[in-house]
Amino acid sequence: MTVKVRFFARFRELFGTDIVTDVQNGTSFIDLIKRIAGKNTEGYAAIFDENGSFREFVVLMQNGRRIDCADAATTPVADGDEIAVFPPVAGG
Amino acid sequence: MFSERERERYKRQMMLFGDEGQERLKKAHILIAGAGGLGSPISIYLAVAGIGTLTVVDKDVVDQSNLNRQILHYDRDIGRKKTDSAEEKLREINPDITIKVIDTTIEESNGAKLVGRADGIIDAMDNYPTRYLLNDIAIQKNIPLFHGAIRGFYGQVTTIVPGKTACLRCIFPNPPPKEVFPVVGVTPGFIGMIQATEVLKYLLGSGELLANRLLIWDGMQAHAEEIAVVRNPACVSCGKKNSTKTVPAGTKKDIKGKKK
Repeated sequence: MTVKVRFFARFRELFGTDIVTDVQNGTSFIDLIKRIAGKNTEGYAAIFDENGSFREFVVLMQNGRRIDCADAATTPVADGDEIAVFPPVAGG
Repeated sequence: MFSERERERYKRQMMLFGDEGQERLKKAHILIAGAGGLGSPISIYLAVAGIGTLTVVDKDVVDQSNLNRQILHYDRDIGRKKTDSAEEKLREINPDITIKVIDTTIEESNGAKLVGRADGIIDAMDNYPTRYLLNDIAIQKNIPLFHGAIRGFYGQVTTIVPGKTACLRCIFPNPPPKEVFPVVGVTPGFIGMIQATEVLKYLLGSGELLANRLLIWDGMQAHAEEIAVVRNPACVSCGKKNSTKTVPAGTKKDIKGKKK
């Protein structure tokens, strides 16, 4: 099955965006993003902490619906999903 | 009622929204939290639009490194309180409105009082702790929070209407790490203009607000992305209190601008 991952803001600089990828049935949210982020050490460290969990400020969306970082390991992605991953920006 | 001078000043926009619309702007009181990169263009444009009362809150003094983006402040203002500088410029820009400035840090102890009876809050801050506080005050007072934030060539912006839209904590429950963020002036200029446009629409009660929609701007790609956001029923800021009056996402009629 195929999903589309969209990175925004600084994550886009690190990974590009609109990454369409084939995934196995049952792949979790976190495994998918780790697979993509694993190709880029700096990018990986921007998204994941030293324990391999999502950094708590990272915003995850599955088809416009927010996924809690804590649920990312148990939430499977589905065929045709559009997934958004981005950091809040803070400046003013 | 308007003086001849006001009629002339606002002539071209009264072609859009008439006496009634201009009257709504004149009666309004908007609080601008921050007189920096976002607060500068926002306060200038709300002043020229004729918002009757603007309150600008900031605690800082003008630094040379602010001048690439904080267009309310000039080279001659370095070392001066941002509130003094803002007051002087805004009064000159439009002497027909009331400008109030408050030189203080927005904190839990004074936040609600600073906002007072304002009709809306502009988030022109540079940190999340104060943003969360403004978000809570907006919910408590049932007034909108016009959120904007920037970094580099990126910006994000959304309009929060308590009880009707996702609040700031629904969208961003955890703040990003603190940093000295890179920024070029055009980015807060662009994001600030979206916030200011939202304020006008809200006060005029027309158009569709950027409600339950987070707009993410990428200046380098010249690309704006819209992400649908929904209320989090478990949100620590708006979850319990407002859970009885949750409006289904996408019920656009309920998210029109303010009715007067």
